[in-house]
Amino acid sequence: MSGFYFLLTILAAIAVYVMGVYNGLQRLKTQIVASIQEIGNQLKRQASLIPNLESAVKGYLKHEKGVFEMLTDARKAVAKADKSGSATDIDEAISKVQNLVPQIRVAVEDNPELKANETVTKFMSELTDTADKLTYARRSVIDLTQNYNEKLVTFPSNVIAGMFGFKPEKGLETAQAGSHLSVSEDEMKDVKVNL
Amino acid sequence: MTHYELIASNKQKSWVIITLFMIFIVGAVYLMSVGLGYGLDLVGIALIVSGMMSFASYWWSDSIILSISGARPANREEFFDFYTVTENIANGQRLPMPKLYVIEDTAMNAFATGRDPQHAAVVATTGLLSRLDRAEIEGVVAHELSHVQNYDIRLMSIVTILVGMIALLSDWMLRISFRRGSRNNDREGGQLQVIFMIAGIALALLSPIIAQLIQLAISRKREFLADASAVGMTKNPEGLARALEAISQDKEPLEVANKATAHLYIANPLKNRHDAVGWFAGMFQTHPPVEERIAALKNLTGAV
Repeated sequence: MSGFYFLLTILAAIAVYVMGVYNGLQRLKTQIVASIQEIGNQLKRQASLIPNLESAVKGYLKHEKGVFEMLTDARKAVAKADKSGSATDIDEAISKVQNLVPQIRVAVEDNPELKANETVTKFMSELTDTADKLTYARRSVIDLTQNYNEKLVTFPSNVIAGMFGFKPEKGLETAQAGSHLSVSEDEMKDVKVNL
Repeated sequence: MTHYELIASNKQKSWVIITLFMIFIVGAVYLMSVGLGYGLDLVGIALIVSGMMSFASYWWSDSIILSISGARPANREEFFDFYTVTENIANGQRLPMPKLYVIEDTAMNAFATGRDPQHAAVVATTGLLSRLDRAEIEGVVAHELSHVQNYDIRLMSIVTILVGMIALLSDWMLRISFRRGSRNNDREGGQLQVIFMIAGIALALLSPIIAQLIQLAISRKREFLADASAVGMTKNPEGLARALEAISQDKEPLEVANKATAHLYIANPLKNRHDAVGWFAGMFQTHPPVEERIAALKNLTGAV
């Protein structure tokens, strides 16, 4: 009789473990989807912020051609990333926007009228924030996908994943070949970031 | 120690502190009532009161500490960087968004409190928010959120209220007995004054033991650990390092901090106070030197 209970306990323990792994995998899957959607939201937000900033500084910065080129460039990059959703496009959009803000800040510093303009400073901080949010959301997708895929190939969670037919997640789409697969000379230099 | 073991150990220590507190209060009341010849009813009352206090310290620790520190809620418009940076890190760590508060003070400091990540609050002084840039604020907030994530906040808040209360009580009793003594010399308040004085001195003698207790519960490693996890959250060790440097160069003590709440803050808020409170603070020192923390972060700069 005691052998029967022993077996029952073991079976119950296994059932609880299987349930835990299954729920964990499902949770990760929904979190990955949510993070990818967050990236989409932030890109849309950026896409609507940039024209606003453009029109706010237009009157003041007529002679600053470089700034307007950067603004247009950033807007195009954001639109492209929003459309394709590929990791490389998103990276490019993030870096374009992050480069844009300091450039505008320099132009604003030279222009006392603009400096006093609250709308411009507000748009600029919002833009910085969306760029930050994109970075965090992107990192989330990578972390979660890695976490999920790791469970799919390690024992014993891989057995359970196989039982329920979980498929590996791709996370953010990346091109099969491209610059991101190799490290350039430039990227190996010591990076000094100052925000 | 893994992340989960750390959380388990913090929860366990929280219960140990509560138990020790109740034993201390009930034991002290028992000795007093035996010594003064009162009945044991007092012990029962002490048990109930200390039980209620323990529950309050667990359940309302955040509101109690926030009101002791004179904090007010922070909104997105007024403190844009503080708010959005917290939003970003909380999102990235899949933590619920904590409540945000500010203390109106030009000194630079910050702390986190609450019983779990769902009921957490992050507090910063307006001096810190106005003098640090976005990347530096990000580092400070990440440090505080790692305390939230590890359940350090539960343990630290309970310690603040229960152990800190005993420490503050001794200050308060001594002050009352001396003030009364200097003002009126008539015999009415005499007996009460003596009781206050004896209790105050007894508690003051206990203070080093209490300080030791706080140090045992809150090891200095905790701050290094929170710094390291903060860098894991922001991937930018320089932000936190620069923030710590700026905070350490700030010579101003924080008015609302006392020895019960000092260990909560990111950097010792009682520095350069040369009165009795400052002297006591040295004994309650729970923060490793900022230089060591910056050096540890500089080591990470190469690694990340």
